[in-house]
Amino acid sequence: MPTIRIPTPLRPYAGNNSAVSVTGNTVNAALDSLTQQYPALRQHLFDGDALRSFVNVFLNQEDVRFLNGSQTTLADNDTLIIIPSIAGGGTL
Amino acid sequence: MLKLPPAIHDAINSHAAAAYPFEGCGLLLGQSGGNQNVVAAIFPTPNTWPQESEKRVRFSISGADMLRAEMAAISQGLDVVGVFHSHPDCEPVASPRDLAWGAWPGYSYLITQVNGGVPAASRSWQLLPDRSGFVEEGISE
Repeated sequence: MPTIRIPTPLRPYAGNNSAVSVTGNTVNAALDSLTQQYPALRQHLFDGDALRSFVNVFLNQEDVRFLNGSQTTLADNDTLIIIPSIAGGGTL
Repeated sequence: MLKLPPAIHDAINSHAAAAYPFEGCGLLLGQSGGNQNVVAAIFPTPNTWPQESEKRVRFSISGADMLRAEMAAISQGLDVVGVFHSHPDCEPVASPRDLAWGAWPGYSYLITQVNGGVPAASRSWQLLPDRSGFVEEGISE
């Protein structure tokens, strides 16, 4: 089964696990499996049906946006890593 | 609560001073638990904000740099527990931009004010669970 590594601040919403085994052979199916196991994660990962703009999913250190997006296929021993982009700044 | 050893705070201050007059940034690596983020190391990153002229008031950390930080944390048996960035000549208060472009509640957002290239006060913030704002958290050594 593929594995998804959970970012530190989201672990309380995922049973305090740092990694979760999921079913599915695409990125989309794997994320569905994850949020079905831990529904409270969904609000932090998705805005409606789309991943939040700052949420990146990497497969073998490659952003899946540069592979086949949510339809990128997964092997049983693959690990997905969920990572945010972060921005901000001061006020003039 | 953010536990920040003085030597690591010094390293963050040095990074902020070196980045002046632009905002400097990076990740806090450590361990999280019991409503406390304990920092054990930092992972400075480039400020990848695309417009050079706006880097005095804006910063960004790319997904690729976040991945590098995550892999560095894993290799040290640590986790990414927060973000640090500087506010050149500006109070170290989480701004509307920090709120709009923040990630998830649970990360510590450490902000260091830099006045004329000299590091000044640092304050740390956390996103509220409903993402409606930031609340300040204490910093201990």
